[in-house]
Amino acid sequence: MAAESATAIQRSQVDLSDCVDWSGVECLNQSSSHSLVNALKQGYREDDGLFLESDADEQLLIYIPFNQVVKLHSIVIKGPEEEGPKTIKLYSNREHMGFSNVNDFPPSDSTVLSEENLKGKPVILKYVKFQNVRSLTIFIEDNQSAGDITKVQKIALFGTTVETTDMKGLKKVEDH
Amino acid sequence: MVLEATMICIDNSEWTRNGDYSPNRFQAQADAVNLICGAKTQSNPENTVGVMTMAGKGVRVLVTPTSDLGKILACMHGLEIGGEMNLAAAIQVAQLALKHRQNKKQQQRIIVFAGSPIKHDKKQLEMIGRKLKKNSVALDIVDYGEEDDGKPEKLEALLGAVNNNDTSHIVHVPSGQNALSDVLISTPIFTGDGEGGSGFAAAAAAAAAGGVSGFDLGVDPNLDPELALALRVSMEEERARQEAAAKKAAEEAAKQEKGGEHTSSQDVTMTEGASASASGVEDKKEDLMDDENALLQRALAMSMDDTTSSHREQRDTEMSDASAEDPDLALALQLSVQESGKDSSGQTEMTKLLADQSFVSSILASLPGVDPNDPSVKELLASMQNQAEKKEEPKEPKEDEKK
Repeated sequence: MAAESATAIQRSQVDLSDCVDWSGVECLNQSSSHSLVNALKQGYREDDGLFLESDADEQLLIYIPFNQVVKLHSIVIKGPEEEGPKTIKLYSNREHMGFSNVNDFPPSDSTVLSEENLKGKPVILKYVKFQNVRSLTIFIEDNQSAGDITKVQKIALFGTTVETTDMKGLKKVEDH
Repeated sequence: MVLEATMICIDNSEWTRNGDYSPNRFQAQADAVNLICGAKTQSNPENTVGVMTMAGKGVRVLVTPTSDLGKILACMHGLEIGGEMNLAAAIQVAQLALKHRQNKKQQQRIIVFAGSPIKHDKKQLEMIGRKLKKNSVALDIVDYGEEDDGKPEKLEALLGAVNNNDTSHIVHVPSGQNALSDVLISTPIFTGDGEGGSGFAAAAAAAAAGGVSGFDLGVDPNLDPELALALRVSMEEERARQEAAAKKAAEEAAKQEKGGEHTSSQDVTMTEGASASASGVEDKKEDLMDDENALLQRALAMSMDDTTSSHREQRDTEMSDASAEDPDLALALQLSVQESGKDSSGQTEMTKLLADQSFVSSILASLPGVDPNDPSVKELLASMQNQAEKKEEPKEPKEDEKK
């Protein structure tokens, strides 16, 4: 089963970091010196020395909008053994959530990360729930050691795109 | 120009009846609130401000965040004083009001006017602060009114828990002569983290100072903010350059003792450059003339000093002007005096140039601030010529460096 899911990623799923709308990416409770960019952006996330760190307490709320509609298949979250995230809740198409309303509606999916996941093993999501995703909110509830600081080294999203018009790509047609 | 939604929490408890701020604490607070609302909406037209009370019958939102200044000012009327302030509940309600702001792109900020004693303890306040930080809400605290034991420490603890990259501030305003709003104008609460709002603050300060006397540039910043800003900037530049010129003149005079540099010509180019940046406002010109005369006199007098030992006393007295301001400079000057005493280079070409009155007067004429027909300048020129003539006799002119 694990082998099949690993090949499933290679088959049709694409790394969705190209579809991320970077201007709208937000993260609540991140430390100013260790921000979301370290975990999400292509060059930064490969470096394990650069990580996203939480600030006032161990929870993190990450909001990722996409510039087109996507189907989300799986997610990779890498982190250190002790301070890496444990319980993750994913919400699709919820704008501007806060820590106070995370518990107001049920997540589209939730998972508890194991040590293998923290090393890079992808977590397969409930594909049916993520067929029409415009934005994704990741709520990291606690971490492995139940300490005060959560660290995340890499967040990678895998899935496919649905054919939608990228409004920025539309160019005016010259009248002849 | 940060896009911000602000909630202002007003203290309308019994403690604000006190008259130690004029006319009473509550009125002073109301004035400050009006000014802050104006500043916020002016710095960015899309900013919204809301107002709520912390005491009275209970924590109550008077107006939700809006950019309509009239609505905000209107709600301040008819507020009743009474009850006790509930800081924790007030901050929670403010957070909720901000959460439901219409434009989610706005940064969230709460401004608290803490006039009465704080009944919560430090730990509670720190927890509140951490919650605010977690939801990226900035907090400004105005500590005035009742001076309770431990109130400043509690508020500082709250600020420490909230503060993220210096976006939150606290101001302690003691009671006394100055109005609450005047003290606040110069703080980062008003100026918005040192970005914009300075124009508004300057105008408000001028209005507070009382009419035209506030506009020291002769231009109303409200009527013509660009001109006022340009004048202000060039004034500061001018002053800075004059100071640099004065300092350089003293240094150059020290260098000159080692054998001749064209101090005066450099001075002239510097003052020319300085005055070139000045704009043509009438009263400014007069100030310039006085400053430049004094400066020019000093510079020329210093550069006139010869390197021979006979003039050392004169030189020392001239140098003492400069050394009075800068002890390091004095030491350097003394050292250079001792060194150059051995060198009897005598008349330099520079002093010859100065002796050439026509040259000097042509330079002076080209300076916009200096009138060559001014009696003081004429006097100076005459004295310089005498000195030059005296030096011509005992020494032979030495053609060292070219200009």
